[in-house]
Order: sequence, then structure tokens, then C-alpha cells
Amino acid sequence: MGRDATRTLGVLMNRTTLYATVLPSLLAGTSRYALPELVRPANPSSHGVLEMLSLMGQALRFERPAAPDSFIVEQEIKDERKIVADNLRRPLIRLLTAKNVTDHPARALARSFDLLRLRPHPFDLPSIDAFVRSNAERLGPTAQHWSDRQKSDAETQSYFDPELLDESSWAHATLSRRVAYLEQRRRDGADAARTLLESTWAQESADARFRLLETLQTGLSTTDQPFLNTLEKDRAPRVRALAAKFLARLGAGGESPALHACLERIKQSKSGLIRKHIALQIELPANVKDQTASRWILQAFADVSFRELAGAVRLEEEELIAAAAKDEPLLLALALIATSDLRLDLLELVVAHLPNAWEKIVESGLDTLGTMGESQRQCWQEIVVHPYRKDLPTIYHLWDWLQRIIDAQAPASVMSTVLHAKLLKKIPEHECAVWFELLAAMCPAAQRQELRQQLADFDQSVTVTPVVLLDILDGMENNRTHD
Amino acid sequence: MSLTLERIEALAPDQVSLAAARKLLKPSSWPTLAEGDGLVWGECQGSGATPYRVVVNEADAGYKCTCPSRKFPCKHSLALMWMRAEKSSAFVSAPVPDWVKDWLSRRRGASSAAAKDEDEAQPKARPSIRLTEIPEAPTTADPKAEQRAAATRERNRLEREAAVIAGLDDLDTWLSDQVQHGMANFVAQAAQVCRTIAQRLVDAKAPGLAGRLDALPTRLFTLPGPVRPSAAIRELGQVHLISQAYRRASELPELLAADARQAVGWTITRETLLSDSGALRVNAKWRVFAVLSEAQPDRLRRVETWLWCESDSDSTPSCGVLIDFVPISTGAATGGYLVGDQIDAQLIFYRSSIPLRAQIMTLNKGAEHSSEPLAVPAEGLRASYAQYERALAQLPWLGTIPLTFRSANVRRNGEQLYIDDDESGFSLPLHTSQATHALPLASVGPIDGIGLWNGYEFTLAWAETQLGPWVCS
Repeated sequence: MGRDATRTLGVLMNRTTLYATVLPSLLAGTSRYALPELVRPANPSSHGVLEMLSLMGQALRFERPAAPDSFIVEQEIKDERKIVADNLRRPLIRLLTAKNVTDHPARALARSFDLLRLRPHPFDLPSIDAFVRSNAERLGPTAQHWSDRQKSDAETQSYFDPELLDESSWAHATLSRRVAYLEQRRRDGADAARTLLESTWAQESADARFRLLETLQTGLSTTDQPFLNTLEKDRAPRVRALAAKFLARLGAGGESPALHACLERIKQSKSGLIRKHIALQIELPANVKDQTASRWILQAFADVSFRELAGAVRLEEEELIAAAAKDEPLLLALALIATSDLRLDLLELVVAHLPNAWEKIVESGLDTLGTMGESQRQCWQEIVVHPYRKDLPTIYHLWDWLQRIIDAQAPASVMSTVLHAKLLKKIPEHECAVWFELLAAMCPAAQRQELRQQLADFDQSVTVTPVVLLDILDGMENNRTHD
Repeated sequence: MSLTLERIEALAPDQVSLAAARKLLKPSSWPTLAEGDGLVWGECQGSGATPYRVVVNEADAGYKCTCPSRKFPCKHSLALMWMRAEKSSAFVSAPVPDWVKDWLSRRRGASSAAAKDEDEAQPKARPSIRLTEIPEAPTTADPKAEQRAAATRERNRLEREAAVIAGLDDLDTWLSDQVQHGMANFVAQAAQVCRTIAQRLVDAKAPGLAGRLDALPTRLFTLPGPVRPSAAIRELGQVHLISQAYRRASELPELLAADARQAVGWTITRETLLSDSGALRVNAKWRVFAVLSEAQPDRLRRVETWLWCESDSDSTPSCGVLIDFVPISTGAATGGYLVGDQIDAQLIFYRSSIPLRAQIMTLNKGAEHSSEPLAVPAEGLRASYAQYERALAQLPWLGTIPLTFRSANVRRNGEQLYIDDDESGFSLPLHTSQATHALPLASVGPIDGIGLWNGYEFTLAWAETQLGPWVCS
């Protein structure tokens, strides 16, 4: 370096020499492997050591990086969903990565992606990775592939958009997608759907058999009976129990042990002065305390159908409800059975006698509405909320449970009640943030503007998240965009 | 609630802050002043490389400024409120920009800075805007004092030069020891041995070299194990080159000598740079294509704002980087600008063989976010890399440099991603930190873009793809 003519190289050095003699010495240490005398150093006492160091260092810097021999060929994913609009991407990322936010906005967004057949922009998947992993099946094949990227080839599968599933591909989709597909097929043609189920039954795992069998609840008829009879000897106890329940609903099969156990707990008496009415009540086991009674009821009556219970006490279904009118625990049992049986007509009759059915059902620990479709779930919500009218509960836990179990927008009637009752103003101040997120998540599109107006009365610090959520949901519905 | 002078007085931490804010009431200090949705925001050129961005919520006087001040609110926030309260400057109605929306989404509540409690045991004097109107006593120049100050500065400079040379002598001894024991041994003890020599160099007033050696262990351990010894040769070899170049600066070209002084740790103040008539100035539109930040061992965060020249002229350089240092304790992780912002400004570059580092000399217009595609030269990755090699020949201790490319692909080999130029078969490994974020690019086909090469890994900063732009986050 520099113009010092005295510092000429003693020997012309080529790259090979440098790598062969200098590099090993520097790596191992000159105390073990002396450097060759190739450079006349400025400082003789240094023996050119540091010059060699710099020269070797620069030679290494000029080495071009080695390219790998081969690269992975990326799997091509066919994804026909449209990518969400550009103007929504940044707000989506902000919302989905914000701290101290409940999961209601994320759940609402996942639903919206699914219903509108939209998908997140592929470049945003890393930023919203947690959201994608939790909701991959609702976000399209690209998101599912992203979510599975760390799985082995054996664990991954072909990716199908649920709306593109057909009889040839349905068996390869994820279980929840297969359940949804079969439910829809049961609505369209129950017998054909059952035949499809039977075709893969033998290869299914116990969990898959149970969940797929549940779909037979939709459109259950006597034509399903022969298949149900074959399940008497199924390896999985809960599959056997579910099949027995369906058979009992069809009026076939013997008395189930569950029904027998329930009947032992139901006491019959007669009431009334002029006309005697049958009155029924549950006698709780001695070891069941009041606070756990609802949970016991859920477990005790889980495998009993309305028809078989009514038949066992020799009453019509409506008469059964009337007979239970004065017994809250039995009314709760009937509400749970009506829910399980998808008998919303009966549920409505029960709730007329049990206006706080919502709270009692929450107490029972019910955590799923089974195979109810979205419109049925919304109808269910209307039924349990209706008795409260404008005196809606302000206990967050109740609404949080309701929103999770419904997993859909609230029906317009429920949201109207919420807004007209000015529920927002009755919420404890320290809970406003979580409440507003929940209300924004459940609000139907037509009522979002009214909710925004009510939110405007509150501090921005508690409304920014719900307002952003409403804006994004509106944006997703208004702007379907490019691929 | 609109902003009032009384409110501002109540918010101000002390009288000094108000006095400092008064000096910023000139519209010329604020290339951007805007309003919208109950917010006011602006950009104010401070002493840092990037202007500070300030936003105030009029309803509750919530505020945010990107300056590193530890006073809350800072003088910039106070000045913005002041101008708004007095309506002394025009605020343009504009859509709320993304950087303001980001702040809004992170706000935890209304400003907690309320009027001072009158019942405090030891009430302090409330800052007064009226007091800031009292002009400061003018100072008269004293030629003799100036001479004495100049002599002191020269004496200090000579003392420092001597200290640096002594430090470099010790550095040579230290380097010789490391070579004697070998690089494998050095890597194993890097943290310990580098700390010692770095401290010595700090004492020798060579903070640039000290910082380079202090950061060396971390740098080595971001690399795969097998390459660390050879990487150590590269790094220590550079340190020796800098040391030798500094000693023999008089024999070197002027710009290379300046590079050596800068590498050792001599700094140039903004004022000195602005007054350097020979410094390169480029007036153009610049796009922010990357903002990187890194915590340093000295408890400062180094924030790099990388700019790409978008003007039509062939002026060089085509890239610049604004470097700010903010205390880590302020919590600021980025500078004022966001990736995608376009700045119309005159940059002034620090003297260098390969000019990159710059400051904003004049902001012609406040930054605006641009959604236009980033246009890069029509050359492939290999050609761009060849430019890097030419630059390295001119500046042997060249650090990070931008590389542009057209029609390259992101590809995977195991867990490692590469940017691969199909046509030439040339590829560069992507920084391991991008293994997840850049992975979606592996499925989109050829891309054009720009990134930063540090001699070991390529940090992809911006890519134009068939699905739109991808930017490093």
C-alpha cells in the first residue's frame, strides 16, 4: 500500500501459494506453522506477519461466494382465492400483531377470509404467522402450505381449497374440512353422503370416525339405520355411544344405559287441583353440589335424545317440556338435549320456562354446538338472548362464551338489542377495551356504522382496535381484489 | 379540546424546553406541517441525519417524536403544539400517513402529562411562554479568547494524534499475538481478547477501531462455525490495513486518507460537513429502501436509513445512507423515515473513496410515501457484484454496500435462502435473519430489487415481484 518504492515484494506471490502456505499458518498459528518469508516488511522485527494477515484477508474478501450444487424445487400451490386489498394489508398486520388484544378480532377476520374466499397476501404470512397457524384452514391453500412448512413430507398433504373438494379429493383434506364437506353433502343428499362416508370408514382413525359420524345428525333417517347397526361393535366406545344415540332417535335399538341412568334421577309427581298435571324433576346425586349441578347435568344427559326421553316418560315432546316447567335443572337438561338434537323449536319452548337458559348453559360447560350450521347457530343465539330483552347481562364472560360457541356474526336482532339497550354505556370502564373488541367482532355488516357512532363517545385508546377491525371487515367485504 | 398556550405551559417539563421550542417556531424548520382527523404532524430537521417526525393529538395532547430526547414532551412536540395553538403556520390538510397510524395503533391512552399538581410539597416554577420572549444577552466576540480556544483545540488534536499512534502500536502487538496463536484459538476467545484491546483503543481515542473490534465477536458468531476462522483473518486483516493507512495517510489519495481517519474514529460534525465546500452534494429525489437498526455495545442504537436516487440524472452516487445514533434507553428502534418514503432533498456526502454516508443538507419537501415501483438498473446480480469488487479495490475496508439486480430468484438449499441469478449461475446467500420473512419470495418467480451486501450475507431490502413489492421488515 502506498508509494514506498522500497517495499517491494521479495517474491512474486500467486494465489495458490498464498492459500497453500499463508492461510494454514494463519489458521493454526505462526507458533505452530511459521509463515514463509515472502514479504519484506516495513518493520523487520515483525517478519511481515501483519502484512501477510492483511494480504490473506483481502484475498479472502475477493473470493466469490460458492453457489450450492442444487436448489429445492418449490411445491406449486393452486390457490384460487383472491388476495386481500393492498390498503388493508398494513392495518391487518397491525391488528393481528398488536399486544393486549383479545382473540375476537382474529377470529372475526379468519371467518371473513373464509366466507369471502379471500386470502392474506403471501408476503404478509411471516408477519402474521401466529394467526396463520391458528386459522390456516380458513385462509386458503397458500396459508395452509405456509403453516405446514416445517412438517415433514409425510405429514403434509395436498392442499385443496374446501370449495374445490369433491368425491375424489375429499379424503385427502384435513379432518375439519372433511367434516364440513360431509355436512354440506348431508344437506344436499343424505344417502349419497353416507355412502361416501362408508367408502372410507374402515381406514379412519377413532377420532375421525366420531367426528364424521356426527354429520349423520343432519338429515338423520331410517335409511341410515343399517349403517348405524354395524357400529354396535365399533372399537371406539364413543362411536358406539353416538351410534346408539342416533338409533334411539330413530326409535330403533334398545334402551341405552345413559337413558336408564337419567330416568333413575327423574322423579314424577302429579300437581294441580282440578286437572292433574304430571310434574317432573331431577333428583341430583348427593355428591353433586349446587355449583357443579349444571356440569353434572351436561354429562348425564349428553347421550340422551329428546325423543327417547319423551318416549321413556310416555309424554309428547311438548308435554315433557311442560312437565319440567317448575324444575330448573330438568329444564336445563332439556335445553341441552334440544341443542344437541338440533331441535331449535323445542329449545324455544324450553327457554320460555327458563329465561336464564343462556347463563345456565354456560355454567354447564357446553363448549360446542356440534354440527349446527351457521344460520342454525345464529338462530340458537337469538333464542337464548331474546328473554333478556333490553336487560342484557353485562358479564363479559357470558358474551365471550357466546361469541366463541356461535363463531359467527350475531344475528341482526341480537345486535339491535345490544345497540338500542346502549349496552356499551353499561359496561364497567375498566373492561371497555375487551368488550368493544368482542362487539366489533360479532357485529353484522349492516349495523357497523351504528356501532361506530356509539364507540365515538369513548376514549380513542379503547376504541382504536374495534374501529380498525370494523374498517377492515368493511374493506374486505367491499374490496375483493386481484390475484 | 384544542391546544392552548396554557396547556402547553402545563405540559412543558421545564423552562429550558420551552425556550428551545421557541427556536423551532420558524416554518423553515418544518418542511412538513399537516393536519387531519384531529391530529397534527410534521417533520423537523434536527441535528441528526434524518429529520424528526412529530405528531400531536389535539383532543388529548398526546404526542410522539422520533428524536432521542429524554424530555417529555420534547422541544419538537412543544413547538408543534405551539404553532398549532397560535395558528402561526399553515397546516396542510392531508390523509393521515402510515407512520402516524402506527403510533395511533400503539397508543395506550391519553397523555398522562396533566397540569402540574399545585399541592406538591416543593412546587416548581411553572414554565412560562412569556419568559421565553425575554431576549438572551448578546455575546461580543473576543479575539484573544478565540485565539486561545484555537490553540487549545490544536493542542488537543496533537495530543489525540499521539495517543492514537500509541494505541495503534499496541494494536500491532495485539494482532501479532493473535496471529501467533492462530485464528481458531482467536475465535474461541474472541469475546475476551477483543474487549481488552477495544478498551485500550478507547483510551487511545480511536473509538472507530475500538467499536469495530468490540463488535467483532458478535459478527463472527452470526456466521457458520466452519467459516469463522477465515472470517477472523478477513476482519483482523482489515483492522491492520486501517491502522497502516492511518499512519501513512500523507502517502495516500486524499479520500482514502479521509476514510482511514473516519475508520479510526475521527468524527466530523454536521456543521463542519455542511461548511465543507468540497463535499459531494447531490440534489435529487430519494426513496427509502431500507431502515436497519442495531444495538451497539456502547448502549447506543445505530439506525441506518438507506436511500436510492430516483432522479433521472446520472449523478453519482446512486445510493446514500443516513446514520443516526440514539440512546437505547429511549426505546426508539427506527429513524424518522419508513421504507417507501420519498424524500426530495439535497444530500451532502462525507468525503470517501466510495461515498455512501450522507446527511440531509436541505429538505426541499417533506417526505411522502410513494407506491411507485422501485426502478433499478438493468443489470444482473453478477454485474452488480462486480461493481462491489471494484469498490473494494478502492476502499479495502469497505463495509456494507447496496447491490441491485434484475430477474433473480430466491431459492432454497436446505434452510438457507439464496438470491440466484439464473442466467449467470451466480448466487449470494441471504442473511439468516431473513430465512422466514423472505421465504414467500421463493414461490413468486423472478424478481428485481436491491439489498445490502456485507461481504458475507446479502440482506434483501426491496423486491419488485408479480405480486407487488416486498420489503424487508
